[in-house]
Amino acid sequence: MITSFSSLRSLVPVLIVLALLALVPLMGPSNRFLSLAISAGINIIALYGLSVLFGQTGILSMGHAALVGVGAYTAALLARDFDIGFWFSIPVAGIMAAVVAAVIGIPSLRVSGHHFVIMTFAFGQLLTIVLTNGGEYTGAASGLDMSKPVTLLGSDIGDLQNFYLLVIAFVTISAVASWAIINSSYGRTLRAIRENEKLAAAIGINVGRHKIGAFVVSGVFAGVSGVLLAYFLRHISPGQFASFPSIYLALMVMIGGARLLLGPLAGGILVSFLPEVLNLDPVQSRILYGVCLIAVILFLPNGLIAGLADGWSKLMGASRRRAVTASAVSEAGQ
Amino acid sequence: MPGRQLLEGKSSRVTDGEQHRDGTVDILLQQILNGLSIASVITLIAVGVTLIFGLTGIINFAHGEFLMVGSIVTWLAVSNGMSFPVALVLGVLAVAIMGLVLERAIFRFTLERPTNGFIVSLGLIVVLQHVVILFWNANQKSIPRPLTTVWEIAGVRIASVRVMVILMTIAVVVMTYVMITRSRYGRALRASVEDRDTAALMGIPVRRYITGVFVLGSALAGLGGGLLIALFPITPFTGGTMVMKGFAVALIGGLGNLTGAVAAGLILGIVEGFSAGYGFSEWTDAYSFGLMILVLLFRPHGLFGGTSGPKMA
Repeated sequence: MITSFSSLRSLVPVLIVLALLALVPLMGPSNRFLSLAISAGINIIALYGLSVLFGQTGILSMGHAALVGVGAYTAALLARDFDIGFWFSIPVAGIMAAVVAAVIGIPSLRVSGHHFVIMTFAFGQLLTIVLTNGGEYTGAASGLDMSKPVTLLGSDIGDLQNFYLLVIAFVTISAVASWAIINSSYGRTLRAIRENEKLAAAIGINVGRHKIGAFVVSGVFAGVSGVLLAYFLRHISPGQFASFPSIYLALMVMIGGARLLLGPLAGGILVSFLPEVLNLDPVQSRILYGVCLIAVILFLPNGLIAGLADGWSKLMGASRRRAVTASAVSEAGQ
Repeated sequence: MPGRQLLEGKSSRVTDGEQHRDGTVDILLQQILNGLSIASVITLIAVGVTLIFGLTGIINFAHGEFLMVGSIVTWLAVSNGMSFPVALVLGVLAVAIMGLVLERAIFRFTLERPTNGFIVSLGLIVVLQHVVILFWNANQKSIPRPLTTVWEIAGVRIASVRVMVILMTIAVVVMTYVMITRSRYGRALRASVEDRDTAALMGIPVRRYITGVFVLGSALAGLGGGLLIALFPITPFTGGTMVMKGFAVALIGGLGNLTGAVAAGLILGIVEGFSAGYGFSEWTDAYSFGLMILVLLFRPHGLFGGTSGPKMA
């Protein structure tokens, strides 16, 4: 609730953080750091979509990586079969992922919430099976290569530094888009559904349609992030979009906190860089993620950033802020 | 990954000498038997899933990992020289204890918000999978077949190990069913599913029943795991596909509906068997999801009607 009503105040810290991150290439970072930062950024774009769905509407998609996959395969197929490059792939992949989201959402969101979670998870599995069995067209289990470079005004901007800046730009756009949705009357409608579905329906909100709408919107973010992923990795395969990556995305959004605008950014960065900082191998770091996720849910159900903010305001002891915390706690208790 | 794993399991079956027969009818019958034996394991998961969901509203996706842990314990016991029945009992016990610990330590704190229970279960998937990988690596694990006899009846070859899996599942499911429909504990359980608050007012220790159902569901998953590794090699990723099918079966039958889950498991087993018999085995994993989507489209509460979870005050 802290961010929902203070509109510009929530956007400014995000823009400052992103502006600082855009300066990183000046410090001559290693290629490894840049690659990690790029994949974190690509995830963050999808996370902003997920935060509209989960943070605002209160429904969780467990197949979000599959929608990223729809975007990535769209980009790869467009490049291979129609010689269409990066910039035109972005809208097409966004629309494709949105259409797929609608197709999944229409049957599953009209019934109650838990069906949706299972359906999205199943969709992730189904997509992996279809892509693996797709033969020549989808490159089967080994996947597809992306041969086209990313060009801007006719020149190749595919090197790591430029790609990093490109990703930062897209992260900024998605943060602003997510902010605009949160602070629009549409965002208010979605929050009304999150807080009390029956009440929302009683005051004339078409709950089913808006839930599907929120899923479609989050699909656009996922599709765009998929295009960036395909152009960054230059090779995509079905395994990248199966169930674990979806859990991973949900984990990031939960750790960062889905309701705050800073949440996806913090979650994406933390989850991507923590193993690097602690020097863990992939197996250990995944165990750590799992434990973190469980701990966050049990102790900080609104995410790390909201938890820290709560702790801070408790420390400050200002009575007004205590009231805010109390309302946040009671909200968490619902 | 898990999908591919199951396919490898299927191709290894061909070399067992069960399928080198002519005539499509024989092969079809064998495939249906194969389908039913896998469907047995899936039904065991589905029953656990459907019971836990019916009582707590928690969608426990880690149920597949419970199954995988059951397989791993069975595998460890058999590799250390124990006989299969002992190993199976150990697997069931280990997973039941794990379920008890996890319910007491984690899931009971998420009862008020089932969505949180669901997210916690996702964390558990990751933790359990990778703890197993950490200690026993990610490679495929198998045990020698506990029963090697193959009966031949009118040209149809029937592997006794499959029959054992099917019979054990039937026995356990019937026992669970009788317990739930006939005993006073079962009546209390059904009352708790119907209305938790009123049941508590009637003096039913609902919290204890929730723990009990978690332990029962976990034990069934452990049994499923032990039976699964008797049929196929498994990997730490096997749980993912199995739990999805378990959920598909539970949803097709109607979440919270035990009879529905069993009937849907039967349907899925026959459909998968037919499809493998007609040479579409690479699509086998897709049917459960396809069926589930169709059922949700036309009968959102399952073929046999289910609950929509516990009524929340």
